[in-house]
Amino acid sequence: MTSKYGDGASSDATLVDRLLQKDVRAFEELYDRHSRIVYALVVRILQQSPTAEEVVQDVFLQLWRNAAQYQAARGPFVPWLLTLARNRALDHLRLKSERQRRREDQTEELPAISQAPEYEKALDEKRRAERVRSLIGTLSAPQKKAIEMAYFEGLSHSEIANALHEPLGTVKSWIRNGLLRLKEGLQTAS
Amino acid sequence: MSEQDQFRELIEAYALGALDPTERTALEAHLAAGCPECAKALGEARYLVSQLAYLAPPAEPSDMLKARLMRTVRAEEGVARASKAKPSSASIPYWLWAGVAALLLLSVYSAWDARRLQSEVQEVKAREAAELKQRGQLEQELTEAKHEAWILTDPSTKKIDIMPSDKEMPKLEAMWHPELGIYITGQKMPMPKGNKVLQLWLIPKAPGGKPMPSHTFWPDANGKIAEMVDDPPEVMAQTKALAITEEPAGGSQQPTSTPLWVGGVS
Repeated sequence: MTSKYGDGASSDATLVDRLLQKDVRAFEELYDRHSRIVYALVVRILQQSPTAEEVVQDVFLQLWRNAAQYQAARGPFVPWLLTLARNRALDHLRLKSERQRRREDQTEELPAISQAPEYEKALDEKRRAERVRSLIGTLSAPQKKAIEMAYFEGLSHSEIANALHEPLGTVKSWIRNGLLRLKEGLQTAS
Repeated sequence: MSEQDQFRELIEAYALGALDPTERTALEAHLAAGCPECAKALGEARYLVSQLAYLAPPAEPSDMLKARLMRTVRAEEGVARASKAKPSSASIPYWLWAGVAALLLLSVYSAWDARRLQSEVQEVKAREAAELKQRGQLEQELTEAKHEAWILTDPSTKKIDIMPSDKEMPKLEAMWHPELGIYITGQKMPMPKGNKVLQLWLIPKAPGGKPMPSHTFWPDANGKIAEMVDDPPEVMAQTKALAITEEPAGGSQQPTSTPLWVGGVS
């Protein structure tokens, strides 16, 4: 397979393997590749830069210190990293105690993510962002709002229904139908 | 719909973290029982949800963040390398090892202490922000309460009974102050059906005048309405009646249903 970083570039999984040997260059390469999207996500969730930098630092140090937590066989690297960053940022949002966060550092096993479709592997970050934004632009405003509240604010169906003063069933339909439409869009885009 | 289908419908929301506790617990039990179809769907849904990160506006971390990270990583890599290297007792005296160990301990303690302080500062800041927000909300509520009290007690306020078209429905009351607006209250109100909202209309006195759209609102969980309309689209002297209809979410520019409540203004 040709990496999207060029023929000579290592895949993310190879770089993570090198982290197990405490390879600083591999870490720097992974940081340079993915820190922008991780930072953008964390800033969007926390809405403030200083705390966001602290969380991004935590995320990458966890990667450095516990690279073995990522297993390439269980799914692609970037969705794993983004899931880790989102969980950590939402934890901060909910003001979880430092002790609890530390306990999770030791025991946390992030969920498996299915293999990315083949067409995904050739896309760079800019094209991914353009495509996801374009697809979400096809959703109705309430669908988009409900999905963003769940993803970026970590709210449940009930919390969203209360915040928007809408019936619970309506919010559930917005989120499920919106996500299914995004999924169809991703498949069609291939 | 089979139980399997019901669980399958929850998978996307579960991956998003949006399920409420009861549904989440039930689905986790189903997944733990080893449903291969739902497990596969969950993997796909998690991939889909991770793509939502690309909706975040682009942002660049500072160069200082990378510099800090690389400093920490290089220091830890040095420690790891040193711990792997074979000790040469002949060439390195014990006092030097003791010095290195002391320095390492000091640097680990400093890093730990800095992190602890940073964390405390963040928590204090977050508490302060939450308290400021709460204070702002309370001030807003106080302003609104004063506003409403003024309307209710001012002699120039006119009381309007808004009567239901259906005798089973409750009566509403509007207090209209010529300058401060209209305050509508009611109890035991049914929730509008489906995706509908209640909308207030001002019926002009002018012959053939079209109803003027105003606020949309819902009763609260106890069926109570306390709606402040501080920007009515018409003055009292030009208004014949107030009417309330059920409209699609977001409201309408013209009524799409027969009024459920009507109250004559003069």
